[in-house]
Order: sequence, then C-alpha cells, then structure tokens
Amino acid sequence: MSTTATSTKQPFGFVAEFESATDLYHAAEKVRDAGFKRWDVHTPFPVHGMDHAMGMRKSWLSGVVLGGGLTGFLTALVLQFFTQVNLYPTVVQGKPTNLNTVPAFFPVTFELTILFSAFATLFGLLIFLFLPRWNHPLFESGLFKKFSDDGFLLVIESKDPKFRAEKTREFLESIGAKAIELVEG
Amino acid sequence: MAGLKNADNFAKGETFNAGLLKWVLLMVGGGAAVLFFIIYAATSGVPEGEELPSVFHRGMAYSWLFAVVFFLTLSVGGIFWTLLHNATNSGWGTVIRRLMENLGSVTIVMFVLALPLITPGFRDALWEWFPQREAALEQGQEHANETLAEYRAELAKEKEAAERALAEVKKENEAAMATATENEKIYLNSEIRAAQAELAKVEEKIGSDEEMKAYLASSHFKHANAILYKKSGYLNGPFWYFRFFFYAVALFSIIYFLRGWSIKQDQTGDPKYFRRMRRAACGFLPLFATAWTFLVFDWLMALDYTWFSTMWGVYLFAGAALNSMAFLIILLTVLRGAGYLKEVVTMEHYHLMGKLLLAFTIFWAYIAFSQFFLIWYANITEETKFYLTRNTAYWNTHAILFLVIGHFFVPFAILLIQGLKKNPMILSAIAVWTLLMHFCDVYWIIIPERGPSLTEGTELILAGNFFTDILAWVAVAGIFGFGVMHFLGKGSLYPCRDPRLDESLNVVN
Repeated sequence: MSTTATSTKQPFGFVAEFESATDLYHAAEKVRDAGFKRWDVHTPFPVHGMDHAMGMRKSWLSGVVLGGGLTGFLTALVLQFFTQVNLYPTVVQGKPTNLNTVPAFFPVTFELTILFSAFATLFGLLIFLFLPRWNHPLFESGLFKKFSDDGFLLVIESKDPKFRAEKTREFLESIGAKAIELVEG
Repeated sequence: MAGLKNADNFAKGETFNAGLLKWVLLMVGGGAAVLFFIIYAATSGVPEGEELPSVFHRGMAYSWLFAVVFFLTLSVGGIFWTLLHNATNSGWGTVIRRLMENLGSVTIVMFVLALPLITPGFRDALWEWFPQREAALEQGQEHANETLAEYRAELAKEKEAAERALAEVKKENEAAMATATENEKIYLNSEIRAAQAELAKVEEKIGSDEEMKAYLASSHFKHANAILYKKSGYLNGPFWYFRFFFYAVALFSIIYFLRGWSIKQDQTGDPKYFRRMRRAACGFLPLFATAWTFLVFDWLMALDYTWFSTMWGVYLFAGAALNSMAFLIILLTVLRGAGYLKEVVTMEHYHLMGKLLLAFTIFWAYIAFSQFFLIWYANITEETKFYLTRNTAYWNTHAILFLVIGHFFVPFAILLIQGLKKNPMILSAIAVWTLLMHFCDVYWIIIPERGPSLTEGTELILAGNFFTDILAWVAVAGIFGFGVMHFLGKGSLYPCRDPRLDESLNVVN
C-alpha cells in the first residue's frame, strides 16, 4: 500500500523503539545531552518526569491562557458596565447603577473568563502543535503504530541540525534502541 | 530516573524533639489565658442599677470564641486532609500525612479550650437564645392558648350554624316528602345527607388534635420571639449540650483512630492498617461533614438565632481546609529549617501543596461570594441582617480590604505563577499572609455580632474589647502551638512504613 521508491521523498527521521519506559527515559536524557533539538518521545501512557529528561522548558501555553482569561474578564466587565450602567442604566431589584452593583456582574464575568481561557487553551494548543493537518509522515511507519499499544518510541527528525543519517542510527543503537526504522515523508 | 529514593532506606522514620520551645509556647499561652480569666473575673461585678455585668465583661466571651474558632478551624482542617488523603488513596502526600494527623489531633485541645463556652456567663453573652428562650416559650404557649381558644369558639359557631341548617332542611324536606314523586324523594333525601355531612365535618374538626396543630402552625405570630419559639425544637439547652459533646467525640475519634492505625503501621509495617485507614476514612467523611456543619451552625450562625444561611457550613469548611493547608506549609518549612524532613520532602511536595492552596483560595472565594451574592440579590429581610451589620461603617472597609482583596485577589494572583509555588520561602510567606487573612475572616464572622447584641443595637463596635481579642488569641495560640509540638513529638514525623511511601518520596508532578 505504501508509496514506492519513485517518489521525491526526503527522510523524515528515525523512529527508535526501546524496551521499557525506564530505558526510554535514560535514552531521552542522552539525546538531550547530545544536543538534539527536533525530536520527541511517544509512549502508551504519560511518563512522570519525562519533560525533565527531555530538557523541555515550561510551555508558553499558560501565558496564552492568561491572556485569554484577562480578555474574557475585561470583555464581560466592559460589556456589562457600558450597557447597564453608562448607556442605559437599568435598575433591577432596586440595585444601584454604579460601581456598587458590580457583584451582579460577577457570574457573567466569571463565565466569560472561563470561556475565553478555554478558547485560548484550545486554539493556542492547536497553533503550537501546527494542527489541524491532513497527515503526518510518522503515520507511514509500521513501528510508530506501537506507540498506542506497547511501544516506547523516540523520534529524531532529519531537520535537526545534528542529524547525520548513519551516525544518528549508530547513536540510537548505542543508547539502547532495540529496533530502528527510517521514516520518509 | 537516576537517584530514585528507596523507601526501605527511610523505614526508620524521624523523631522530633521540640525541646524547650514546646514549654515556652505553653508558658506564653497559659500565662495569657490566666491573665485573660483574671481580667474576666475582675470585671464580673454587676454595675449598680443593672441586671447584667458590664458590656466589656460579656464582650470577652466573644474574644474567647473568636480565638477558639480560629484555631479549631486549623485543627479540623487537619482532620479533613487526613481523611481526604486516606479516602482517595493519595500517594503523593504520604510523607506529609503525619503532619496532618498531628494537626488534626490538636482538635481535642481545642475542645478543652472551648469548655468555658458552656458556662452560663459565656453562653448567655454569646447566644441570646439561651437567656431569651424561656420567655419565648411562655409567649409561644400564650399565643397557642389564645389562638386555639379563638379557633374553638369559631368552630363552635360553625357547628351551631350547621346544626341549624340541618334542622331546617329536615323540616322543609320532610314536609315536601308527602307530595313528592319517587325521583323527587331521592333528591330531597340527598339534600338532608349533604347537610348531615356538613355537620360531621365540623364535628370532626373540633375533635381532631391534628387540625388544631395545623391551624396553630399556619397562624400568624404577633410577638417578637416567634422565631425562637419555632426554632426551640433545635435550640434548647439539653440538646445543645449534647451536641457540644457529640462534636468533640465525633471529630476527635475520627482522628484518634486514623492516627492510631497510622502509628501502629510504623511499628509493625503491616499493610492491613493502611487498608483499614482507607476504608474507615470513607465512612468517617459523612460523620465529619455533619459534625463540622452543625458545629458552626451552633457556635457561629446561632450568634444571631434569627439569621440562617444554608451555605454556612461549607463556608467555614472552605476556610478551615485552606488555612490548615497554609499552616501545614509553614509547619513544614519550620521543621525543614530545623533540620527535619530534609531528605523526604522535595520541592515537588511544596508545589503540590501550593496547588491545593490555590485551589482552596478559589474555593473559599467562590463559596463566600456565592453566599453574599444570593443574599444580596434576593434581598429578603430575614436573610440580609448578617450582611447589613457587616456592611456598616468600619466592617464594610474591613470586608473589602481583607476579604475581597486580601483573602482572594492577592494570593490568587501570586499563586497562579508556577515558579513561586516551588519556592518554599515564597510559598510560606503566602501561607502566612493567608493565615492573617483568615484571622480577619473569623474576626469578621464573630465580632460584628458583639456590639449590637450586648448593647441592644446602640453600639456597632466595642473598641475596648479589641485588647481582649488579641489576648485571647495569644492564649489559645500558645496552647495550640504546644498541642502541635506535643503530637509531633510522638512517633515518626512521617509514616515510615506506609506502602505508598515509595511513591511519595519520588513524586513528580
């Protein structure tokens, strides 16, 4: 089914399988120390401390979420104050139409803060992950399919400046990969 | 995962020696308590021409209640965290669970300190319903007698009218019967039966106790203590005393068993205790919730028996859980500063505790605001009294400054930042701040009742009692600190042979 050698495909990178989560963890530390930048690990379940082993910094996503939340907070307050206090003062239940009426606006403010934070989380995540996309070269790999079953996988992309076809394969073997596959894409 | 810690290396545990500090705390607390009660006794004289001792003297009861409740919330929070840890089979916090157990055990000390509250002097000053109850019951009885007498007279008239109507119908219909056809006779008889049924109905009403009760319940009470009369099924002396001891027994036995099994597991290493704790904790949770909810109803909500809020229990619970976590963070930092728990507790534990602190800061604000919001918006007379007092003059500033901004916005904004939660010193500083705000919260719950209650509404704030508030707080703080040190010194500082210790030592989040 897969494409044959007539294509103009470049190598996408190496998929390496490791014996266990522990092996993968140590391998990740070594890949990190070797200075690779464009690489990732894929496991059937979350491995605690993996982000540390991979040398990942704190995600920027929380900043985006904070921005979304503040936008929602201000939108709700401005919307309600402008319409209910300034534009068309609306007396409900004998409550004043000034700053003292702000508790009445809190439920909406709360909801909009949550809503905008959620939107920021979702869309920020999609942008950071370059999603949505139609396909990914890794889906061509037979080995990669194991990531959702029992495979502890490490992928080094060919776009990495340190990537050298044969050397990288040897490197992966030296850090304990039990199977290695070159993926094209 | 280089450098994984092996729980076997930690099976010996750590023992804590408070040394002199424990006794210094007891001396300070005990000294302040003695001073407090000397002042209380010295001012107990009844001024000439009055029936009760001075307002200052009675106001001291509020000082004591304030101090006891402040520290009771911390210790009860300790029970809650222990229960939660066991019930959820939580692994991360095993190394700090003993601190929770020890903090929870101080509850028994707090109940001993609460004993003055059941003496008539404290009791009558704090809870008006005690001295007013008898009069309310008398008024209620009077009202019942009057109302029922009126109703009986009314029913007697109705009965007379029904009898008269029956006699008339009988007379007319029997006369008509002579010339009537069969069909007409049926109709005439039915008219008589209807009149008889009418009479039977009235007679049944007169003979029925339930009817009298229902009428009384729906009648309009005119006297001032109607609320107290209607609540007297719950607010009465014997039941109140029973509940006081029920709370003490219920709350303390929960932590007594959980801590006891935990310590036994340290000695034997038998995992059956850990399973038993987990099972028991699930059963204890409803008991804990009931005892705590009704305790704060009885001690705090009943400061004004006419007022009620169904969110009261949750509100006080939120404050208790939040601030006991704050206290645990400070305690942990102090212990680590003194060289304990250095190996077992990592920044990951601080981070997790910081997250819980953030979560409960939000939870507290959510509950506190919801309670205010519902009452403020509905604007129903019998509910607004609480906030009317607390939105008057100084208390309004107090609430906005300390509760809205200080208790929520400041710690919320700071705790959002991940890095700060991983820094023990910064996190402890926030915890100290949170405890300060809790001081303001409990003060704001209890003390605004004092002026209006004792001076019959002529004074809002009794400034003279501010000094006794602080004195009582110092007294209880010292004895509370002694209690914490005492329990810390018994047994290891962490559950050293718990099956989940391994997980807790190496926790990463």
